[in-house]
Amino acid sequence: MRILIMEDDVSAAEAIIKGLADAGHEATHAPDGEAGLEAARGGGFDVLVVDRMMPKVDGLTAVSSLRREGDSTPVLFLSALGEIDDRVTGLKAGGDDYLVKPFAFAELIARVEALCRRKDTGGQATLLKVGDLELDLIARTVHRAGVEIDLQPREFQLLEFLMRHAGRSVTRTMLLEKVWEYHFDPQTNVIDVHISRLRSKIDKGFDRPMLQTVRGAGYRLDA
Amino acid sequence: MRLPDLVRTTSFRLTLLSLALFAAAAAAFLFYIYIATAGEVTQRADEEVGREISSLETVYARAGQSGVNQALIERTFGERPFFYLLMDAAAKPISGNIAATPVEPATSEARSSFRVTETDPDGAIRRRAAWGRQVRLPKGELLFVGVDIAEGQGYVLRIIRATWGAGVLVLILGLAAGLLVSRNVSRSLLGLKRAVAAVEAGDLHARAPVRGVGDEYDELATGMNAMLDRVERLMGGLRHAGDAIAHDLRSPLTRLRSRLEAALIEVDNGRADPTESLIQALEDTDGVLKTFNAVLAISRLQAAGQVPNPQLFDPAELCSGLAELYGPLCEDKGLAFSAEFSKGLQVRGDRDFAGQAMANLLDNAIKYTPPGGAVMLRVRRRSSGEVECSVTDTGPGVPFEDRVRIVQRFIRLENSRTQPGTGLGLSLVQAVAEAHGGRLDIDDGPGLVQEGATQGAGPGLRTALVFPEPAAA
Repeated sequence: MRILIMEDDVSAAEAIIKGLADAGHEATHAPDGEAGLEAARGGGFDVLVVDRMMPKVDGLTAVSSLRREGDSTPVLFLSALGEIDDRVTGLKAGGDDYLVKPFAFAELIARVEALCRRKDTGGQATLLKVGDLELDLIARTVHRAGVEIDLQPREFQLLEFLMRHAGRSVTRTMLLEKVWEYHFDPQTNVIDVHISRLRSKIDKGFDRPMLQTVRGAGYRLDA
Repeated sequence: MRLPDLVRTTSFRLTLLSLALFAAAAAAFLFYIYIATAGEVTQRADEEVGREISSLETVYARAGQSGVNQALIERTFGERPFFYLLMDAAAKPISGNIAATPVEPATSEARSSFRVTETDPDGAIRRRAAWGRQVRLPKGELLFVGVDIAEGQGYVLRIIRATWGAGVLVLILGLAAGLLVSRNVSRSLLGLKRAVAAVEAGDLHARAPVRGVGDEYDELATGMNAMLDRVERLMGGLRHAGDAIAHDLRSPLTRLRSRLEAALIEVDNGRADPTESLIQALEDTDGVLKTFNAVLAISRLQAAGQVPNPQLFDPAELCSGLAELYGPLCEDKGLAFSAEFSKGLQVRGDRDFAGQAMANLLDNAIKYTPPGGAVMLRVRRRSSGEVECSVTDTGPGVPFEDRVRIVQRFIRLENSRTQPGTGLGLSLVQAVAEAHGGRLDIDDGPGLVQEGATQGAGPGLRTALVFPEPAAA
């Protein structure tokens, strides 16, 4: 995937590019908003990673102008600000996700990949399939290898999110933000408890576990 | 205030401007009067002269040149004599009471203003303004008749002089009034200027004097003082936040550094795996960041004194989500979890901050309550109208004398040191409560209910985030 990094801190940008390259992505760097806008207008990027504060044109303005021009490339805002209304302003300006600095690398890559994926699947499928696992969004039912699995509503949402991002790592924070819609630090790894309950339902009794724990990152659902 | 300074003030400049406008208007008025009256004097003189000429022309028609001659001699001794000059066709004087015609060229028929010299009875020579007209009589002679207009012109001059005098007087008075007004304004502004200069020089305590007259200067001074109060408060908050962050981060950073150093020595000696040390360091760094974020959140809330974008939200909705999130964790730990929410309540505030605060309270309860105990989450309206979100546990509780201390930053009671945590959880809850105009209540729990439990059992603890009634907030 091709990713554009708009970031004025060159060493931070280099680290991001290297990390993304290790994960198999091709990243381009723009050192300020103006250069970033120009590169983004050239097109061909799957995700834009945009720092909020940049010289010449700041991140919010840059993304707003891209959105006005009809560019809908997914945008991940990076910010050192991190107040609650900063996140809201970022999303209002046309951002798709928001990450506060400093962040764990796994978090950035997981979020960038989640945004790419979203672009891929744009359409509204009513039946999600990963390996022998099937999730019916209309009937609200889950089957694995033909066996119906009974899930709580939240477990269903959790599984749906994992299936939509199958094969990629999702972090605990992402799950808390996207499944529970909470934007605060839960102090303990409450998410782990929910994951282990879900795991016991979808993996127990089957020879091959699908829900993997990724060390230092989070979880991944494999086919 | 010295005069040159006074001259630079806005009020003085405004005075000057209005004076200039007045002077221009007066000059225009004066010019108009001059044109009107001066023209009037000349026109009257011309009419008089015209009548005299027609009368003489009648005489000429009846009695010819000699008749006119005779008439001139008679009329020269009249009440207010005209100036006469009868000339032949070549403008050579025949008779009259002036020596030569003032008309140029002398043989033309024309009107002319001129001056006559006159000797007073006391011997002084005066030149007086006059106006005259020259006509050619039917047989070719030239007749000039003029009249003295000095009196009329003198009248006009007197009016003009008087107006000038009045104008100058007005200018002088205006200038004086301008200086006076500017001095008063400058005096009224002096206090404000001093306060501004003092603040600029770094003294944030400086305030402008309010004279108590209630005029616009007092209003300005009061407004400025209120502004300075707020600035000072904010600056104090920021300074305090900065100090707190520096203080709060020093110890975890010191810990991280010594741990890294120890790890390096171990690795150097070949006794440890660098990967493990790196992972450990990463976890430590995450801990520092967590502390940093908590300290920053507390400081910002304390400095602002309120949450950023207060909105109405349903606390029961927020807490039922938390119950669903934390319930399984309780069960896994062998704790009975229950929740009870009153419906239809609303509080004004920030949902995320309130959620963080409640998460901290739940986390504490789950951490410190031994297995076999119970945790209860409850949202209800107090009879006072306040809305309370409380977490009750059956854990060891906190002795009464320690309850103030546990809210302070980094205070961790003896039995809590083994548990993970930043030591900022309750401080943040307190800051969130205060930013919502509410408070954090800490009470005993339900009492010793855990029969048979030996370790960690106690009176339990009840912590509550209390929001004021939304209308009153």
